Amino acid sequence: MLNFVFLAAFSPKDDREASPDATLVRLLLQNDVGAFEKLYDKYSRIVYSLVLRIVQQSGPAEEVVQDVFLQLWRNSAQYDAARGPFVPWLLTMARNRALDTLRLKSERQRRLENQTDELFSVVVAPQYERELDEKRRAERVRSLVGELNPQQKRAIELAYFQGLSHSEIAAELKEPLGTVKSWIRNGLIRLKEGLHTAS
Amino acid sequence: MSNCDQFREMYEAYALGALDPPERAALEAHLATGCAECAKAIAEARWLVTQLAYLAPEAAASDMLKGRLMQTVRSEAKSSSPVAIGDKTTTTSHIPYWLSAGIAALLLLTLYFAWDVRRLKQELLAANEQNQRNEQLVASTESERTATQQKLAAMEEQMAKMHRETAILTDPTSVKITLAAQKIQAPQMVAMWHAKYGIVLTGQKVPMPSGNHVLQLWLIPKAPGGKPMPSMTVRPDANGNFVLLVTNPPASGTETKALAITEEPAGGSAAPTTTPKWVGAMS
Repeated sequence: MLNFVFLAAFSPKDDREASPDATLVRLLLQNDVGAFEKLYDKYSRIVYSLVLRIVQQSGPAEEVVQDVFLQLWRNSAQYDAARGPFVPWLLTMARNRALDTLRLKSERQRRLENQTDELFSVVVAPQYERELDEKRRAERVRSLVGELNPQQKRAIELAYFQGLSHSEIAAELKEPLGTVKSWIRNGLIRLKEGLHTAS
Repeated sequence: MSNCDQFREMYEAYALGALDPPERAALEAHLATGCAECAKAIAEARWLVTQLAYLAPEAAASDMLKGRLMQTVRSEAKSSSPVAIGDKTTTTSHIPYWLSAGIAALLLLTLYFAWDVRRLKQELLAANEQNQRNEQLVASTESERTATQQKLAAMEEQMAKMHRETAILTDPTSVKITLAAQKIQAPQMVAMWHAKYGIVLTGQKVPMPSGNHVLQLWLIPKAPGGKPMPSMTVRPDANGNFVLLVTNPPASGTETKALAITEEPAGGSAAPTTTPKWVGAMS
């Protein structure tokens, strides 16, 4: 419900032409197998890498990736280009599925939680975002996060790849809660600034 | 200080899913008032957070996964308005006695698990209360609580699996497929296929596959020239019994002509490497 309010309150302007990805996703509605294969070839590597990093085992990772791409094929109408670019939507769905697998969540819980997380969340990419190809983007993100102090990097990774909360991370790292909060926030702000500067 | 000031430091953590429940609730309550400024900042933070995916070491999924997906997608594209299996005029055949006994056992197990889950939840509650009562014992009760939570989550998952198996085995719309042994002395296997919940394949006194080989299920498409679609693998227990749940078959029942079982190396194969040992036509 909350995210409906979200949408009513804020809907990003899409003043750009439809992206190639959004066009491919639209073709899925017409059962275009070629469009699906293009999207799979383009993004299966990053999706699988992310999922494998979270679940740590190739078998369950492939199951999650299969689930993600079948969801894309069967429910492509769920993606709304007006709410943001395709890749963050896909990666958010993959991360949520992988974390659910990691936490052994029941299907009922998964359905309830993912509905709001994936379908109605708005994502706004900065203008420079479209200028980066996947390889350059990966290099920049790794380089920028590599510049953070090891504990700060670890805190961010625990949050992103293991889905831990601030207090869970503080317990895991045996550091004060306030320190962990600052590490994560400052680390992400440095990443944001770094991506902007590098563009 | 505007209302938004107190939330500015939370945007990134919210997008990351790292806020603890009280902070998350406070921020969501604020967003529910329709604050466009915070909503925009969080939308931007969401994009930033997805960039962290690129920290994962690069890895590639097997070609088998792509093969499986493309076969599914192609067959679904061909039948743009697939008919659910349950819509067929043929419905469940008579369930044999041994399978009925299996269902009854499954239901009993489900009841047991439900009772055990309730017991674990009570333990969890007790651990939480103990935690509050005695701060000196926080460390030990915390570990007990975590262990109980993990056990609870695993049992809930197990229960969900059993619920699904029970639904497939008992739903009147499930279609029964009998797989007869081919050129070997072995009992038949039985598969029940439900349009929504998937396939349950059961075997009893099945000969053990050689070495570390496994039995792999294949879906044989109706389409002329269609290649067998790989599905899941299983290794029977010491008595030759198994129950295999396939939650997401690579094709629908209407597109499938038959099910087949082959013996394959551990991990399964993208295409059959041996001739089928069991085959069953869709009714």
